[in-house]
Parts: sequence; C-alpha cells; structure tokens
Amino acid sequence: MKATVRKLGRVAVVDIVGKITIGEGDVMLREKVHELLDAGENRILLNLEKVKYMDSAGIGELVACYKRAKEKDGTVKLLNPSGKVYDLLQLTKLEEVFDTYRDEGEALGSF
Amino acid sequence: MDSGTSVKLVIPSEIKLIDLVHAASEKMAELAGFDADDALNVGLAVREAVINAMLHGNKRDPGLKVSVTLTTDHRELRARVTDEGNGFDPGQARDPTAPDNLMSDSGRGLLLMEAFVDKLQFKKRRHGGTEVTLIKLLPVNADDEGKKEL
Repeated sequence: MKATVRKLGRVAVVDIVGKITIGEGDVMLREKVHELLDAGENRILLNLEKVKYMDSAGIGELVACYKRAKEKDGTVKLLNPSGKVYDLLQLTKLEEVFDTYRDEGEALGSF
Repeated sequence: MDSGTSVKLVIPSEIKLIDLVHAASEKMAELAGFDADDALNVGLAVREAVINAMLHGNKRDPGLKVSVTLTTDHRELRARVTDEGNGFDPGQARDPTAPDNLMSDSGRGLLLMEAFVDKLQFKKRRHGGTEVTLIKLLPVNADDEGKKEL
C-alpha cells in the first residue's frame, strides 16, 4: 500500500493505492493518520479509489482512525471507495458511520 | 483444471505469509472457473480464516503452524484451514454490525467469511486446534442448490 498526502485548503487528502490489509496496509494507514493528527491536521479525506480491497484488519484500522480523529475534534471521511471496498463498507454497515463522497469537490466542501 | 486438484500449504503463524495463502486461494478459484470477483471473494474468505487461525487459534506463536488445503472439482472449491492452538469458538463471536459493536476495531472476520463463501463449517480437532472448512460452489451448482431449496 502507498499513501500520499495532498493539502487542499483545510483538508488533508490521503490518496491510497493498493490494499489495506493486516501487517502492512493497516500499519501504514495508522501511521499516516497519526502523523496528520499529530501535526494538527484533523480534517482528513481518505481517497479509496485505487484501493483494491481491505480485510478485517484494514476495516478495523479505518474505524480506529475515525475514532482517533474524533478524539482530536476532527473527522475522517471517504472518497470514491472502489467496488469491493464499497461492498465491504455496506456488509459491515460502516457506510452508516462514514460520510462517503463520489466527488472530491463536494467532499472538500463538506468539512 | 482437472477435477480433484488439491494443493496444501503449511505455514508458520507469521502475518507476512497471509498474502501467499490469499494469492494461492484466489488463483485456485480462477483455475476452477470462478470469475474474477468470486475468485477475490474466495481469497478474502480464506485470508480471514488464516488470520483467525494465526491470531485466535495459534495466538501468534510462530512455532505453531497453519495448514491450508485447497481442493477443487467440477462442483466447488473447498478450503480447509487448521490451526494447532487451543482453537476458537465461533459461537462466542459478537455481531459486528450490532449498534454496540459497530465501532469496534476488530471482530469482523467471521462476517466476511460468511459473506464470501456458500458454506462455512467449524470443527474442534481431537488433538487440539480448530478446523474451518469454507466451500464455494461453482455458479451452475449454486443455481442447482437454489432449485433444490424451492
């Protein structure tokens, strides 16, 4: 998994490529979000367009990131989850938790 | 693929090896005739069974092994995943979609396994450990199963 950050106004957009799975992707996601929160960036948009899939550990880390951002009076929102990732969000009912957007401009305006 | 093809992987409980089992399971499913989406589903379901075996069965002890046997024939793909630990009780698993559990960092593996295969069986092994069997029916057989239930 690779994650790069773009700062657009008050929002940190994290473009993720690959898969968010146990032992690699979940750790990288945790570190990246920690890094942003420690730097005071608490409005985070995770761009999942190029994430092929997640496993239970990756999904758990997504939830952990959301909770950590909330603790810092911020939030984590999702952009463009790919087919399988969206299926997983539906299956786990986390689509009810995360604000999810298909358009980056709309997502940025929502913070 | 010829009918009755079988592959067995025996690995130590090391997280870095989970991708290997996922890739083998997905490839076996492709060779058996599943489409790309169903092959990925098989890979994800077997991945979760192996994660369970390593974390909850073998308690991350790299000295304890996880065995994965993948068998395909003209009807189905069958994956048998066993651990060497004290096993785990799927009956104790909480519903991760219940409001009280929705924000938990863990506990979704069983849900994913159930969603991505047609049959899921757990069995305590006589000499310790748990055996999980995951079965994915090839589409034509899945249709037949549906007709039988009507």
